[in-house]
Amino acid sequence: MSDNTNKSYVLKPGTLLDIQNLSMRFGGLTAVNNLSFDIKENEIFGLIGPNGAGKTTVFNCITQFYKDKDGIIIFNNKKNEIINLNDIHVEKIIKEGLVRTFQNVELIKDLSVIDNLLIGAHTLFKSDFIGHIFRSKRASEEETFYKAKALEILKFMKIDYLKDQYVAGQPYGILKKIGIARTLMSNPKLIILDEPAAGLNETETTELSKLMIQIKENYKCSILLVEHDMGFVMGVCDRICAINFGKFLALGTPDYIKRHPDVQEAYLGRDDE
Amino acid sequence: MKKVLSYFNKITIYIKDSFRRMVSAVKTDAMYRRFVYLFVGLNVILLLSELDIMNYSTVSLYAYIIIFTIVALGLNILLGFSGLMSLGTAGFVGFGAYGVVYFETLGFPYEISSLITIVIATFIGLAVGLFSLKVEGVYLAISTLAVGEIFSQIFKRVTWFTNAYGGVHYKYPTLLGFIELDRNMTYIFLSFVMVVMMVVMYHLTKSKTGRALLAMSRSNSSAQAMGVSISKYRLFSFVVAILYATIGGILYASFYRYVQPLDWNLMLTLLILAMVVVGGMKSIFGTFLGVFIIYGIPKLYLEDLFSSVSGVAYLFSGILIIVVVMFYPYGMIHVTHDIKKLYNKYKIHKQNKLKAGDGDE
Repeated sequence: MSDNTNKSYVLKPGTLLDIQNLSMRFGGLTAVNNLSFDIKENEIFGLIGPNGAGKTTVFNCITQFYKDKDGIIIFNNKKNEIINLNDIHVEKIIKEGLVRTFQNVELIKDLSVIDNLLIGAHTLFKSDFIGHIFRSKRASEEETFYKAKALEILKFMKIDYLKDQYVAGQPYGILKKIGIARTLMSNPKLIILDEPAAGLNETETTELSKLMIQIKENYKCSILLVEHDMGFVMGVCDRICAINFGKFLALGTPDYIKRHPDVQEAYLGRDDE
Repeated sequence: MKKVLSYFNKITIYIKDSFRRMVSAVKTDAMYRRFVYLFVGLNVILLLSELDIMNYSTVSLYAYIIIFTIVALGLNILLGFSGLMSLGTAGFVGFGAYGVVYFETLGFPYEISSLITIVIATFIGLAVGLFSLKVEGVYLAISTLAVGEIFSQIFKRVTWFTNAYGGVHYKYPTLLGFIELDRNMTYIFLSFVMVVMMVVMYHLTKSKTGRALLAMSRSNSSAQAMGVSISKYRLFSFVVAILYATIGGILYASFYRYVQPLDWNLMLTLLILAMVVVGGMKSIFGTFLGVFIIYGIPKLYLEDLFSSVSGVAYLFSGILIIVVVMFYPYGMIHVTHDIKKLYNKYKIHKQNKLKAGDGDE
């Protein structure tokens, strides 16, 4: 355990991420208000809420893009140490085993698909720039090793035929897939997906839900996702947390969430009669 | 003693191994072959001028192209890969040129004085890089412009370092203390250094480092999420760009043997910028091509062609640059794709014709 830190945190066994009393304010606006939920190991967890409910803010808080937040975010990292993610710099988060995608994909358009995947393995490379300049034995071995790994992941996603093509000009569904493939490069324990199904058509969405479950089983990781497509969320998630205006509404199985009166109210409005 | 011997053995094995890998790399990777061709091609020019087929002065024009290819490669890493802007390039080239001369007058050999210059430039580069962490875009350009201006003022006023307007004289370099180079040997040395710098850039950009730089330039937040340290790579790209510029300056002093303060102004920086943009961002050979278009074509051909009317050559080179940018906004190097396409079309056309001919018989 982490004895060197002055504060030690506890997690219930089987829990991967525990968010406790998270609050985030932008000036006078409280985007996230005293939110708590936990994610178990090897589960797909959905975070839902109407537009502006603060879902993406929660993501940015977990991945430390926002500082000055209240509350703690406890995570069981790659080395099985219990840590508070707030102590970690945004660029080091991926090393702990937590990786995210972006709503608008954010791939590098003028690199090939496989090179984009290799960026996901950035922190795993051990060679430094001197090794790169001289293209040392170790650096080139590493390069081949991670290329093989990237190819394996692309095969798993069934897009390996695209490996040497540029990312620019690929259809949106493929871009989303490359984004997810890139997260898998870093051997994550938790993948955070920001609207993975946005902009996809129905066949692509069904394919994506299958892929989510396959990733969970093959890579033994948890997935936290934000999504507007309710059919997709209800179909794929093990548990769902619903929020509105940054506040906790309900947490439970998809069926429980569907029937929950507060969730129905948030999405459909109150029945006045 | 035994320990020393075992270290020596290890080093020789390592060198042998690296050499073997280098040879196999040249055999398998077309890029390396192109580097070798470029090196040979540049030296053929030297041979032609020795045989009096080309002008004696042509070699010194090509030396200029070589030197500024190195400088532009550095800027290309900064601009093309990291997406950062610098308008202080010329200042650093001047610093390299003055630095090597100054330290050699203090009694250091060529290599050591080059090294000292490079180390000092690295520290200045780190300082500029640290500063760049706080400013973005246009503001970064303006602040690096100020750095360039500081340099140009130093060149004009700090007499002990630069001899002010008198300029400083130098000699062809002496390598390792006993290999005295003459003009032609210096030219070969220059082209060799250029090819080495190209290989360094090729290796850097096709590695984790290059990908991290690209990730950073395309989206800061996405790069951060992938674990790319923005501050580290920003510093890195500034230092690399400044190192390239300084090395270019050192070579400038070595070949032209005279440095004067008025050369290192904003005009030169903008020309280097134009070389990168016209040649092709992110492209190594494109950078060479860009330097050739911006500097080489006007000096080599246009000035001869329009020698009767002074100034017309510059008019034409200006128009040339505009045309190039209009038709190849991503750099002149992309003309090769078009040529390949045309060639393929021609081939298919020919084959079709042949087939049609067969059908008639």
